Amino acid sequence: MKRSPIGGLLILGSMALAMIGPIATVILWAFAIKWRYPHLLPTEWGMKYWFAMLGRETVITPVLTSLALTSISTTAAAVICWPAAYAFARLKFPGRQVMLFSFIAAQAVPKFALYVSIAVVFLRLGLVGNFWGVVVVQMLSAVLFMIWIPTAAFRGIPPALEEAAFDLGASRLRVFVQITLPQALPALAASYVLAFVSILFEVDGALLIGAPTVTTMPLLLMSLSAQIIVQEAAVLCVLIWVPCFIVLLLTRRFMTAKGIAQGFGV
Amino acid sequence: MSDLAQMSAGAVRGPAKRTGHGTQAMAGLALVALPMAMLLGLILWPTMRMIGATVTLEDRIGADRYVAFFGDAYSMANLRFTLEMSLISALTALALSFGIALYLRFSAGRIATMIHALSLFPLFVPSIIISYALVRFLGPNGLFQLLLEQIGITQYRTPYLTPVGPFLAFVWENLPLPVLVLSAGLTQVSDHAVEAARDLGARPLRILWEILLPQTRRSLLIAFALIFLGILGAYTVPYMLGPAAPEMMGVYMQRTLGNLQDPDSAQVQAVVLMAIASVVGGFYIATMLKSQGAER
Repeated sequence: MKRSPIGGLLILGSMALAMIGPIATVILWAFAIKWRYPHLLPTEWGMKYWFAMLGRETVITPVLTSLALTSISTTAAAVICWPAAYAFARLKFPGRQVMLFSFIAAQAVPKFALYVSIAVVFLRLGLVGNFWGVVVVQMLSAVLFMIWIPTAAFRGIPPALEEAAFDLGASRLRVFVQITLPQALPALAASYVLAFVSILFEVDGALLIGAPTVTTMPLLLMSLSAQIIVQEAAVLCVLIWVPCFIVLLLTRRFMTAKGIAQGFGV
Repeated sequence: MSDLAQMSAGAVRGPAKRTGHGTQAMAGLALVALPMAMLLGLILWPTMRMIGATVTLEDRIGADRYVAFFGDAYSMANLRFTLEMSLISALTALALSFGIALYLRFSAGRIATMIHALSLFPLFVPSIIISYALVRFLGPNGLFQLLLEQIGITQYRTPYLTPVGPFLAFVWENLPLPVLVLSAGLTQVSDHAVEAARDLGARPLRILWEILLPQTRRSLLIAFALIFLGILGAYTVPYMLGPAAPEMMGVYMQRTLGNLQDPDSAQVQAVVLMAIASVVGGFYIATMLKSQGAER
């Protein structure tokens, strides 16, 4: 079928505007010193607001809190989920299918309503406004990535090599460390990155469990975005999102139709 | 087709069979115990407890709090607003992504590659970032308005703080998942089938309805359920972009719990939302189970 490319170009143009336009606006604001209506672009450029933001303790503290929180809860989730993913892929035990399925079914619960129920329990336990309370609730948002990507990865490793090693008398641990793990490593790393970024930008749990004593970077961004000086929130956006975007691009081969289908059961 | 089916139903392969069944079962259960405990302790238990708490009154068990919720005009307006927003946004996202997937299916070349890449871009942009970016892009005197004025359109009215604001953000966020799944589904329709139908005189709409849609029906249903449920439980997007009233349930629950310090009402709101979600969620789970059963 022959067609003129005009239709495609039209779609491409509107997609580019809709997809890139919003983010481009934020990047422009981050490097603008003066941008007043009705100028299409900033009239004065510079990084003045970057220096102002980076020198402020009310900015540094939430960013550090977020980095600590995210590292701890992502690592903790990895420690408990990766072995489980191995078990789901390689071991036979009663209830395996139902349990693996329940991780996918858990996505059907509306998140914010669930966090309300957790917040009420945590309130009694004294975990509201507590750093560790936020760690626990944020681990939940990591569990999905940490189960399905690694389970698929472990299952995708052909067992022939492992069996050969067994036949040569290698121990189970040695086979795992020297043969299985190296092959699964890229997928494990990808699941770590995806979970890390989704926790770093997580709002709901941090808000309901952490506020007002534990302020994370997204909560700071929310409060800055309501302020008159546009540049501050824009700088924070660019500062945090751009590195994440670059790292996420490295994981994109795991964000394929197949990968997504596995995670959501499509 | 579904790897999940293979993943969960397929026979265990590899070195596992070397170990005795008993040991293996114990090891397996031990390894999955902690994440399972998380699911039970952080999803099942708080939900069950919350349902119990909402019907436990000072001296008896009763549905009084639900009667109050369903009798309250403001609560009902918020609930209706949330359902309408979820439904309309999910359907729009699906329709748009179906269009994109169709275009990608029947096109090749650099333009198609770029469209594909652009449609996946939201996968890499967290809710909070796109919400803020849309405020700046679509808001009053934002870049979009400035661009329109360059070409002489001056009647722009910003969707910021109206229902259109969160609607646009939800559609934006939810494009990649269906585009990925639908374009994968559509590649399974062979060119021959389409050409044969065309040779027999079928019009494009009929080809769409009788060949392309059936092939992707299940993906469409599951994608719809996932997007709908995601929007139902959303907070950031409506908080940043939505109107002050009516509120979406996420914002309403947060205000009830955080600002009004009224956990009783917040829990009733949460249970109502979960009950509605369980209908769509049950349908999602049933569709998944059915498709796995069919492939076994």
